[in-house]
Amino acid sequence: MQQPSPSEETAALLARLSSRPGVQSTLILSRDTGAIVRSTGLITAEDISEEGESVPNGIGGTDTEGKKKGTRNADAVARLVWNFVKSAGEMTEELNGESDEVKLLRLRTRKNELVVVPDAKFLLVVVHDTPPA
Amino acid sequence: MSSLQSRKDEILAKKAKLAELKRQRELRQKEFTSNRQSLDAGELAAPTPSRVRRTEDLDSLISSLVDRPSSSSPAGKKRISDSELSREGAPSTPTKTYQDASTDTQALSFAELTTVYEIPVESKPEYITYSKGIQTEPWQPPQDSSEDSEGGADGAGKSPSRRRRKLSQREIEIEEEQIRQRLRQEIEEELRALQLEERVESEKARFPARALETEELNAVTSSNDFLDFVERSSKVIERALDEEYDVLADYALQSRDAEDDDEYVGRKGRRIKEVMQFDLSEAMGRKRMLSDIDFSPKFPELLCTTYTKSQQSPHTPPGLLNVWNMHLKGRPEYSLHATSDLLSCLFHPHHPSLILGGTYSGQLCLWDTRARNQRTGEPVQRTPLMGGRSGHAHPIYSLAVVGTQNASSVVSVSTDGVVCAWSTDMLTLPQEYLELHSPNPSAYKTDDVAPISMAFPASDPTYFLAGTEQGSILPVHRYDRAGAKAGVDSRCTYRGHEAPVTDIDFHPARGKVDLGDLFVSCGLDWTIKLWRAKAPSATAGSISGAASTVAPLLTIAREDSVYSAKWSPTKPGVFGCVDGAGMLDIYDISASSDLPVASARPSHIEKDAYALRSLNKLAWEKTQGKHVAVGGLDGVTTVFEVGNELGGPETKSEKWASVRKWVGRQSKMGE
Repeated sequence: MQQPSPSEETAALLARLSSRPGVQSTLILSRDTGAIVRSTGLITAEDISEEGESVPNGIGGTDTEGKKKGTRNADAVARLVWNFVKSAGEMTEELNGESDEVKLLRLRTRKNELVVVPDAKFLLVVVHDTPPA
Repeated sequence: MSSLQSRKDEILAKKAKLAELKRQRELRQKEFTSNRQSLDAGELAAPTPSRVRRTEDLDSLISSLVDRPSSSSPAGKKRISDSELSREGAPSTPTKTYQDASTDTQALSFAELTTVYEIPVESKPEYITYSKGIQTEPWQPPQDSSEDSEGGADGAGKSPSRRRRKLSQREIEIEEEQIRQRLRQEIEEELRALQLEERVESEKARFPARALETEELNAVTSSNDFLDFVERSSKVIERALDEEYDVLADYALQSRDAEDDDEYVGRKGRRIKEVMQFDLSEAMGRKRMLSDIDFSPKFPELLCTTYTKSQQSPHTPPGLLNVWNMHLKGRPEYSLHATSDLLSCLFHPHHPSLILGGTYSGQLCLWDTRARNQRTGEPVQRTPLMGGRSGHAHPIYSLAVVGTQNASSVVSVSTDGVVCAWSTDMLTLPQEYLELHSPNPSAYKTDDVAPISMAFPASDPTYFLAGTEQGSILPVHRYDRAGAKAGVDSRCTYRGHEAPVTDIDFHPARGKVDLGDLFVSCGLDWTIKLWRAKAPSATAGSISGAASTVAPLLTIAREDSVYSAKWSPTKPGVFGCVDGAGMLDIYDISASSDLPVASARPSHIEKDAYALRSLNKLAWEKTQGKHVAVGGLDGVTTVFEVGNELGGPETKSEKWASVRKWVGRQSKMGE
């Protein structure tokens, strides 16, 4: 009775999430520092260096192509989202007192929607297309 | 005169001798001279030998003579060596003197510093022993210093140790002050640095504060916190994304192509619409057969499904129980495991987080969705597999929870005829253990009873009906009662099915009219039968211990084996059934007693002619009765939404009355 290891399971969950139709990018940040733990669909520093060194080929090629679609810098997005969550948290605290906290943020824009799940230690951010409305 | 002359001569000679001596001494003195001595010598040498000074000379001579032995060479040498050193030091370094002075002052300051550094080391123990006193020190310093300054005047009188301590204390103070200052400085510097950082952070990217190293990333991503977080948050996000209704929809802007909103009116109220399908993922193991479905009594969007072992991936756990959420497509809310094929499942009606499962090996498993280790999917409790009277050793095809919120027990029945009642607090030993035996062995040549289905009437938790593989439906008393022992009631059998009875279900008793004695059964003999259960008291009243046989009120002939039949929880007289052909049929006995009012087939079976068609189980959503879930051999769970004639909470009262009338008519016909 062998089961997939927890990290594999987690990876599968995240892959599932990022492969859902309409999902542009996903991002997991550390809540305290805002450091990027995982990201998909965004340009990270590594990608830039990789692209500089080697022209994408094979599986990696499709991967980076997928990332190119995002055309956003992961760091920049992470910073913006982190600040957004922080200010939202501050607002909640002032509004409802210390005991309250932000559980979910959905930000609809004309172009897309951001869904943010803040937790004690991490943030999960998903950017996805919305049906034209 | 001559004598005088001679005497004069003598004196002269002596003088000469003296001079000689003097010269010699002078020479000697010159050799080892000190400034002073040479000066003295000069003085001595300068005066002419006069009579006036003769005595002095003599004195000096005598003194010199007397001195001579005393000022012996070693002492002289010693003295001279000292003076010589000093003298040599002085002239040899005339140019250096200033430098020396400066270095000396520096050295002095250094020395002070060194003493500052040295003293704490030796006075440290003092510092520690007086640490309590030190707390009061801030109040004393003025006193101390004044005392000290006074003491400085007559300081000589004070004992050196005391002085030293005073000194060290003062120095400690100084040192402390220094340390304080240093700390203050450091703190200020740090603060300044922090402020600087913050300014930098707030001004522009505080991002990333620090990019994580790969090792850190690995550590973070393999931490339990992270795994739990991903598990939780991804569910939330998927639910959010699965939300179909667009909250920002503006109906004024867009003329959406009008969906047939009149879907559920008129005859179309009997429509069935497929709303959702839950398929097993590769990781859970494909080619499992669905064995049971149950909706959560508390959360209408949750349903649990159990599966047999995977034919394709033998490494996956044999028993699988998935809790699906209607708002979370494509993945289960929870995925729970057992060590043997799961055949039955049940949400605990009074504890919404508890889920029960019965396995092929005869184990009853209890999962708690609150459990921290739910990622592993292990049950929190399970019954022993020891045989004897400690539990089941045969497959458990049917489970029920009876009782109330505060006193409920789980009743399980296995195919060897063993009925056990359990408390969810303790699954190690059954609270009750009962073996069923057939009342008239001759009919089947054995007294074995193999129940594969079970149903409790809503009104009586001590009595239930067991559908057996032999085709009979047996009333079973859990306890001894007047005129009947615990076990199968021999005075009453429901004879009608010619093949194993796959499902029994009592009519829910929630309406205005009590239809709680009505039950439906289905079997592998291609029939569905409706019965009216005889109350246990009524059977006891029938005298003459002769066994009475109850005939069904209605028999509906089908074209395939019927695997499951269940009453709608809200609508009177409405039940659904699934069969081996993959059809879901819904009957309304008040409308038609032989034809279904609605039928549907899961879309994937519809499309694929060679699919595994058979549907094993059916379950109604318990509170609203709007949804029906079915599943079968291919392991796919399909949820249908039914029209408001077949489901939904509100029901006209005449409907209940008409069903009551129908039952009365049918029972009269039977008699």
